[in-house]
Amino acid sequence: MERMKNNIIFKKISEASLNRKIFISTLAVILLISVLIALFTRWILISSLTLELQRRGLGIAQSIAESSRGYMLTQDTPKLTSLIFDARLGERKFLIPYVFILDKKNNVIAHTFTSAFPDGFHMANSILPEQNSSIKLLKMGRLSVYDVAFPVTEGIYQIGVVHVGLNKDHIDTLIGKLRTTFVGFVSVVTIIFFIISHWLSNYITRPISELTKVSDEISRGNYNIKPDLKNKIEGAGSEVMLLADSFINMTNRITVSQIKLKESEEKYRHLVNSGPNPIFVIDRKTFEILDANPRAEETYGYTKDEFTGMLFTNLGPFEYKHSGLSPAEDDWQEPQVVNSKVQYYKKDNSLLYVSLHASPTRYKDRDALIIATTDITEMVEKDNQLIQASKMTNLGEMSAGIAHELNQPLNAIKMASEFLEMMIEKNRKIPEQDLYDVIKEVSCQVDRSAAIINRLRDFGRKSDFTKEKIFINEPVEGVLEILGRQLRLQNIEVELDLDETIPPILAHNNRLEQVIFNLITNARDALNQKQELEEDFASRFIRIRSFRDGERVAITVSDNGIGIPESLRERIFEAFFTTKEMGEGMGLGLSISYGIVKDYGGDVDIESKEGLGTTFKLSFPCAL
Amino acid sequence: MRKILVIDDEKPTLKMFRLFLIAYGYEVFIAEDGQTGLEIYKKESPEIVFTDIKMPGMDGIEVLRKIKETDPFTEVIVVTGHGDMDLAIQALNLGATDFINKPIAKIALDSALGRADERIKLAGIQGNEILFQNRDNLTTIDIKGNITSTSEPFLSDAFKNASEHDASNILLRFDEISSVNGAGIAILIKLLSASRKENKVVAITGISENFKQIFEMAGITRFAKIFDKQEDAVNYLTVS
Repeated sequence: MERMKNNIIFKKISEASLNRKIFISTLAVILLISVLIALFTRWILISSLTLELQRRGLGIAQSIAESSRGYMLTQDTPKLTSLIFDARLGERKFLIPYVFILDKKNNVIAHTFTSAFPDGFHMANSILPEQNSSIKLLKMGRLSVYDVAFPVTEGIYQIGVVHVGLNKDHIDTLIGKLRTTFVGFVSVVTIIFFIISHWLSNYITRPISELTKVSDEISRGNYNIKPDLKNKIEGAGSEVMLLADSFINMTNRITVSQIKLKESEEKYRHLVNSGPNPIFVIDRKTFEILDANPRAEETYGYTKDEFTGMLFTNLGPFEYKHSGLSPAEDDWQEPQVVNSKVQYYKKDNSLLYVSLHASPTRYKDRDALIIATTDITEMVEKDNQLIQASKMTNLGEMSAGIAHELNQPLNAIKMASEFLEMMIEKNRKIPEQDLYDVIKEVSCQVDRSAAIINRLRDFGRKSDFTKEKIFINEPVEGVLEILGRQLRLQNIEVELDLDETIPPILAHNNRLEQVIFNLITNARDALNQKQELEEDFASRFIRIRSFRDGERVAITVSDNGIGIPESLRERIFEAFFTTKEMGEGMGLGLSISYGIVKDYGGDVDIESKEGLGTTFKLSFPCAL
Repeated sequence: MRKILVIDDEKPTLKMFRLFLIAYGYEVFIAEDGQTGLEIYKKESPEIVFTDIKMPGMDGIEVLRKIKETDPFTEVIVVTGHGDMDLAIQALNLGATDFINKPIAKIALDSALGRADERIKLAGIQGNEILFQNRDNLTTIDIKGNITSTSEPFLSDAFKNASEHDASNILLRFDEISSVNGAGIAILIKLLSASRKENKVVAITGISENFKQIFEMAGITRFAKIFDKQEDAVNYLTVS
């Protein structure tokens, strides 16, 4: 409770206005000083007066003591009495209330008391052995008196003591008068300074209040107060002037900033509104759409009203990984590309492919995200077309091989049927085993042809947008079914080292086939090129390995062909870059393959030694 | 029983060949690759060899060459894929008896076997006979055997005779078992274009289907028309 009270008081004091503070402190200081001076002076005067009085008393006592010596020796009491009564004549009556004399036996020999001598009074003030005299303040009924005791001495012998009473009231009155004077003095000073300090404090604080008023105006948006300000604070002192100047500078700067801010806002509003990308502002937690620019309305077919309050995820899949920082810190993060290549839907349920960029922001006191959805539909389609075209080229390359491939089963079927025909025409019996073999063979060869055709058809198909879980050994085996025979015919040995236990990846089977087809044909070409240089290039091989590589799945295609020189290694992925002769290839294969691999989150590495061979390594993240 | 060796890397094909040839009464040996084929050839000395051209390891051309080195009189028939004319001509140049296209029709098989048989019977035909006849305003040049570079002087003579006799139309009559290699074709073209310049009309008859294709490919048909039946050729010449 006490502490609370103290706190309240402390608060009240610190919050009190500057004006009041100056006023009160000036006043207080002056007051304090005056009081101190007054008290000091008073003390000096009082002590001086008291001392004076006592000295006077001593003087009187001494004179009486000297005068009474003779009488004491002669023990002339009447003369003594008359003496001390004389001492009280006239004016001194008031000052000296009593006088009495004691003999050496401390008996009262004479006194001036009109009534009986008060008991024990004569012993009230004794002179101590070392002292010459003694002064003591005694009370006599209502009266305060200084009792001055002075010894009567004959030579060195004390024959008696003279006690003179001094009326303290005397000086008390004086002191009283003094006190009144001083109080009066202090009061006047107080009043004067009350006025002065009040005026002073106002004078000092007025410019400050003016500045405050101006500041209020400015915060309300009114910037035109400046000219008056200087006038109002004229003469307040250089510090205040400096403050005013600084203040005016500040208001200028604020005005400029305000203008710039407005311009900036205009600019950004303009950008957002006329930007080529649909831009949304959504709530960071609920994904509710808070705002959308005109382009968004155009692209998706909803009006702004329809957008407001809609969940952003109505348009398409969206995930935002909270970075785990507090919202305030989060605001300063870099924008992130959250999803690239996602399917989004317009109001009429038609499809578009977008790339999303999100960055955190604040919007009307909520934690929000700004999301730009860049329409990449055309790009995705062109991409697909390019891949498809490349695939067609590949298929074209393969046509001779395919023809040869299909010819084999056809030959077996033809010969089989002609054989049967001949035997029947010639009425010859066909051995049962032979008949069985022949018929089985025909069926088998038809299956074989169908498989080849299916392979080709699959290879040539356009892939769906959605990826699937693919085991990377599949496309390898698929491509080898198409290319295998060709490679054998060219005396290229294909070594396979495929791990069956590796996890799947997210991809499209026939696009992977395209990549592997590309790598294998490149390897074959490299081997053929080396063959041209080295006549006796005997063991030519292509080695394909698949394995788990940490968190990823990897596949390597190696050949012992002509290798890739260091200088070309970076260029081989460029579109239209080829080391082949005109007409033997456009140089698109690797660039498209690279694009496909990157699309699946994969990487391509090359190791090559000129003249010795090349290894391409593809690695992909595992599908979870 | 004649011995036949069949070399092909396709097992089903070998199976079918085997069935057919056994039905025809041959003693059949099969091999899946060139190397094995040659080993069997050395051991068994078959008179007729069928070999696929496109095979891994040693290819058919190589096999043909090696066989011809060992015994030039062995009849080697190469099996080509559809449209491998270049290889066919190459094989013929190396002395192959004939070529057949996959898928193999019975007719083609029979024809090839027929030629091979005939040539074995008439073993030893290296050169050829070129006969010149002139009758009823029709000049006939009969060509028997293999036309190669050595045939050039004989052919030139025959055509010279034709010019001297002011023959305006010429019938070139081949026999079924004749074969023409690259050099032979070149010679024919030279002589035929010369005849064309002299405004002579030439008809060709009697060549096998396969060689008809080769002649067409070589462009001989620019200078002479090819007829399957002799009468058609004669009519054509009489009319023009």
